[in-house]
Order: sequence, then structure tokens, then C-alpha cells
Amino acid sequence: MEKSLYNIYKTFFKVGTLLLGGGYVILPLLQSELVEKRSWIDNDELCEYTALSQSIPGLIAANLSIFVGYKLKRTMGALAAISGMITPAFLSIVILAKILEEVIKLKFIQGIFWGVGIGVLVLIYLAVKEIWHKSIIDKFTFGVFFVIFLLSVCLKISPAVLIILVIIVGILRQFYLDKKDRGQTE
Amino acid sequence: MIYLQLFLEFFHIGLFSFGGGYATLPFLFHIAETHDWYSAKQLTDMIAVSSITPGPVGVNVATFAGYTTSGILGALIATTSVILPSLIIVIIISKLLEQFKHNLYIKSIIYTLKPAGCGLLAAVGVNMFLNEITLLGVGIFIVLLGLSFIKKRDPLFYLGISALCGLLYSFTKFFG
Repeated sequence: MEKSLYNIYKTFFKVGTLLLGGGYVILPLLQSELVEKRSWIDNDELCEYTALSQSIPGLIAANLSIFVGYKLKRTMGALAAISGMITPAFLSIVILAKILEEVIKLKFIQGIFWGVGIGVLVLIYLAVKEIWHKSIIDKFTFGVFFVIFLLSVCLKISPAVLIILVIIVGILRQFYLDKKDRGQTE
Repeated sequence: MIYLQLFLEFFHIGLFSFGGGYATLPFLFHIAETHDWYSAKQLTDMIAVSSITPGPVGVNVATFAGYTTSGILGALIATTSVILPSLIIVIIISKLLEQFKHNLYIKSIIYTLKPAGCGLLAAVGVNMFLNEITLLGVGIFIVLLGLSFIKKRDPLFYLGISALCGLLYSFTKFFG
């Protein structure tokens, strides 16, 4: 499919419609729609954008859509992607706003909440599996994964703090490599 | 000026909520306390409804608050304000990345960020799993996972089946 602004809008409209149960679900959806079906970006880029989206302010799903849209067609692409993403969200709430309280009480709606929660977990598992291959390639990257995972699960440290830490580690790593290089040439 | 107030409050949320997902919630509850746009009870309902309406919770609540306070125009303003900071920040970062793509330090940072992003996502999954652990839930999870090993399918497939399971479950509770 051609990367026209209309197609970008349409694709993100579809992703936005399927975006149930929290922003993180956008990752498996983008993998399916943009990487596998359309080959507009690759898993490596998606992985990079995901990491960056978590380390800056704003909603993850919004950040990720804008990164991908910008990559596809610069600023206009970013606008097309984010508008496509939020249109279904906007319409569904405007329609539901008045009957919200009645809707929430319905037994079968609560059943669906519960069910979708499980589906979301499966999608997150599959997304982790997919980006695992792209991001964990040696001992160093495995170590980073493991430490971040533990700090986040056990100590509940905020992602923003962890990402700042990771950026410092990334800089120090290059600093160390530079120094080692210089040591060898001397 | 209700429109200006909506803009400022939701722009603020877009600018200061780090880590996504539920990072916006403390801000949203704060609004419930300081403005009469929606009550804490309404917000709790909204969060639940967000899991079966399209879009991220933050966007859903912004639209809802804007709509209940001042109709469609309010909804448009609140929704746009919550994503505006993202739009500005991400475009600036994308431009910088293009320019410094070959810088060794930037490369090293991205190399380190990727596994960290993967670790954070895995942690979100584990935390959600621990919160939702019921025997039936784990059963459905394992069956869906098994299906994914046989053949990789569209995300809609997993969401559809799990929603259906939830629906059937609610009926058995209703009749039982």
C-alpha cells in the first residue's frame, strides 16, 4: 500500500479502533498493521520508537503514532497518524458520554471488560517476544533488560527515572569504548 | 473561560505524564477534586469504559471531560490539548535524531534504550498478570497463548475471543 496521507490516516484509524485496554496495546497492533501487512517500517525501528516513547512525556500510544507518522511522511504524516489514532476514541466517547453510567452497570459489559483484559495480556506477551529478538542481542543488552525488568516489577520505580538512568548508561558505555580505543592506539 | 481552562489542564497532563498507561490517572483525579467537570466516581467509570472503547485512557477522559463541560467544541479542545505536547516533543526529537543519527553517543543510547523498552513492557505485562490472576483467566490466557504458537494471528483474533469468553462468563454468572 502506498504511503499517502490518506492511507496513513486510514491505517491509524484502524489501529485506533482496535486500541482497547490501554495504550501499550498499540505496539502489537502496529507490528501487525505496519510491519507485517504493509512493511512501512521494520521491527527494529518500532523497537527504537517504543523505547523513546516511554522516555518522553505524553501518552505512549500518541507518542508512538507520531514517531511512526513522522518517519513515514514527516510533519504531515505525524498529523495524519495522530488524527487517525484519536478519531475512533473521540467518536466513541462523544456517543457514549450520556449513557456512560447506565452502560457501566450492565453485567455483560463487565464480563467483556474482564475478557478483554486477558486478550490484552496475550498481545503484550507477543509484543515482548517480537521486540526481544530485535533488542536483546548480547550480554550487555540482556543485562539492561534484566535490571530494568526487576527494578520495574519489584521496586515499582517510575519508567521516566529508569529511562534517564538508561540514557546515562548508554553515554557511559560509549565513553568507555572511546577510552578503550584510545588506549589501544597509543 | 472554560475553553482556556480545558486547554491548560489537559495540555498540562500531556506535558507531565511520564511513562504512559496509567501515569495520567493521578492528574485526572486531581482535576476531579479541583474542578466540577466530572466526579471521582465518574472518572472510575470512565477508566473501566476506556478498556472497551477505542483509544488510550488519557484521550478518552479528555474527550469525556470536554464533552460534559461544554459539548463538542469542549471535547475537541480537551482532546487536542492532551496530545499537543506529544506532537511538539516527538517532532523535535525525530528531527534531532535524523541530524545526529551517526553520532556514536546517540547510537549507544539507542542501543541501550531498546532492551530497556522491552524490559519495561515485560514489567507492565507481569504487573497486569498478577493483578488479574483468577484460575479461569489464567486458563483462557494459556489457551490463547497455545493458539498463538500454532499460528500467528491478527491482534483482533485474540481480543475477539477473550471478549467473547468474558461475555459468556458474565452470562453463566447471571444464570448461576
